[in-house]
Amino acid sequence: MRVVLAEDNVLLREGLVRLLAEAGVTVLSGVEDAAALLADVGRHRPDVAIVDIRLPPTRTDEGLRAAREIRRRHPGVGVLVLSQYVRVSYTVELLDGGANGVGYLLKDRVTNIAEFTEAVRRVGSGGSAFDPIVINQLVQRRAGEDDPLHALSERERTVLALMAEGRTNQAIADRLDIAERTVEKHGTSIFTKLDLTASPDDHRRVLAVLRFLNA
Amino acid sequence: MRTVAAVVLAASFLAMSAVAWRKHPGSRVGLLAAAIGVLVLLEPMLPGPERVVAAGWATVLIHLVAALPSGRLGTPAMRLVVALAYLNTVAMMTALLPRELVKEVGTLVAVLLGAAVLGMQWMRWRRTSVPSRRSLTPVLAAAAVMVGLLLAGNPMWTPDASLLDMSVLKVGLVAVPLAYLATELRSRIERGGVADLVVQLGNAPEPASLQAALAKALHDPTLTVGHWVAESRRYVDADGHPVTAGGPGRVATRVDRGGEPVALLVHDPALLEQPRLIEAACTAAALALQNERLTADLRARLAQLAESRRHVLQAAEAERRRLERDLHDGVQQRLLSIPMALSVAESAIPPDAERARALITEAKDMSLAVLDELRALSQGIHPTILTERGLEGAVRELTVVASVPVRLTVELPPRLSAEIETTAYYVVAEALANVTKHADASRVEIRIVQVGERLVVEVADDGRGGADPEGSGLRGLATRAGDNGGVLRVTSPVGGGTRVRAELPCE
Repeated sequence: MRVVLAEDNVLLREGLVRLLAEAGVTVLSGVEDAAALLADVGRHRPDVAIVDIRLPPTRTDEGLRAAREIRRRHPGVGVLVLSQYVRVSYTVELLDGGANGVGYLLKDRVTNIAEFTEAVRRVGSGGSAFDPIVINQLVQRRAGEDDPLHALSERERTVLALMAEGRTNQAIADRLDIAERTVEKHGTSIFTKLDLTASPDDHRRVLAVLRFLNA
Repeated sequence: MRTVAAVVLAASFLAMSAVAWRKHPGSRVGLLAAAIGVLVLLEPMLPGPERVVAAGWATVLIHLVAALPSGRLGTPAMRLVVALAYLNTVAMMTALLPRELVKEVGTLVAVLLGAAVLGMQWMRWRRTSVPSRRSLTPVLAAAAVMVGLLLAGNPMWTPDASLLDMSVLKVGLVAVPLAYLATELRSRIERGGVADLVVQLGNAPEPASLQAALAKALHDPTLTVGHWVAESRRYVDADGHPVTAGGPGRVATRVDRGGEPVALLVHDPALLEQPRLIEAACTAAALALQNERLTADLRARLAQLAESRRHVLQAAEAERRRLERDLHDGVQQRLLSIPMALSVAESAIPPDAERARALITEAKDMSLAVLDELRALSQGIHPTILTERGLEGAVRELTVVASVPVRLTVELPPRLSAEIETTAYYVVAEALANVTKHADASRVEIRIVQVGERLVVEVADDGRGGADPEGSGLRGLATRAGDNGGVLRVTSPVGGGTRVRAELPCE
């Protein structure tokens, strides 16, 4: 797994490089602003670009805009956005080009090395990784009467939320302490209720997540 | 008949004297009138030769007419005439000449001197201004009648009738004190005019109407009011032109209050002869002008206060934004490097060092908890998403996490001050939080648009209404909007939805 990293705080950048190296991820370059990030992504074509949202010069949302730019210019490069805060509206923006190879996590998540490197690998191989905080905010908001999510059972919503975080069936099964086959059954039921039965399985999963996140 | 006439005449002069003493204690008018009254009463009671002493009242009357209206003899000529009149009376009493001759000649001299006084007063009347004519006219007219009667009744050509015994003449003389009393009464009424002025001025007059009101009350259409301007230390009129004391035939009266100059009245010198009237007018004007000045002062202070409050708010807003950035870019980032390093350490520990692993995990979790608290603190200091995305992005985030579908319209002006942006954000955040907590609504409409020089922030739901605008959240918002020069209105009829509308200044 090859990554390019953009983080303006030297201490954090060095920490991340060390942490990723420890987990066997190759860090091709670590830069401190969006322009350098776009240049290095173009040059190295990494599997994943890990991007902090507040980057110089204004330290507002340069990282987020760079992430969208990478997704537009290099559809094959996964983008994992990190931030001190996670926002639902940013998630929606990142999903603009589909749920493939995209992730958005609270910066704190890097301290769980196993989960974090797993998320990096998932984004790098075309999957997704969304922060539970964002997913919780979406789950907690009350779906309208005409919302298809309204038809889901409590359990199905939990499974869909974990899917939305980007987790595999196996990971969901482990988390909920149920058999993987049960997760698959919940999945089929969710796809039916969301009227996504005609699509191939992987794609349906992405569509379900999108439906969930854009609800 | 003679006695009755004498008593009536004496009583009228004594009444004049009483009024003059009360109204003008410093003036000699009262004393002279009293002397006339007493002498007129004494005259019929005295025996033959002494009667002539009492007859001196006619001379005192000449003195009185000469001294009107102030009680002082104004010119050397006037003093000379009055002195001659007294000399004539003394000559009459000493009887150096035959009695009959003395009486006739002396009386004639007295009448001529009286006519001279009247002539001099008439000259003065012609020179003088309207206000002072008003006080002289009645008395002079009465005196003219008296002199006319004296001349007509002179024993030199009417030898049968003794002049000073003429009862008719005495009754006619009553006209002099009566005229004086009438004048006094009118100046009282004029002070009533000043009372009206005070009432008029109480209704916050324009500087121009104050001048008009004073000119009317003082019967001087040429009167000019200069208002004291402390900064430039001079008097200016309503148009701001300087007003000076000078000018021929003009007199300036300063109006002060509490030792501070308030105004300058430039007017006809004749007004000085009515010190009471001008004093009353000045007091009234001072009250009005000081009131006006205090109001202007208060307004200036209020404007100053609002300005400084705005500065304080701006400074506080800038400080909060700076603090949020400093926390985010500094402490929060550095702090995060600690659990990161600890997690690397965690993975580097040999599998059998269970206790070390547990301690490291604990340290990591604690630093992450601190980071969480810091994040909440930073968010409370200033909404972080405003820093990242501005008002539109921040409101959009509020709408996507809202519990109710939201229709959002945002049309922002090109520039929006930081404190207005933050206030608008809090209006939407608080209103949406209320919708979630209380409204039971099925949809919400949010509009943030510029209307003229105001930014209108409106959050309207279709819920149950009945929101309490005095609830702490909405009251806090109203205070915040007010502090920033705006207003917040809450319309929430029961069953009719809730509309929170803020209008905030924007350029």
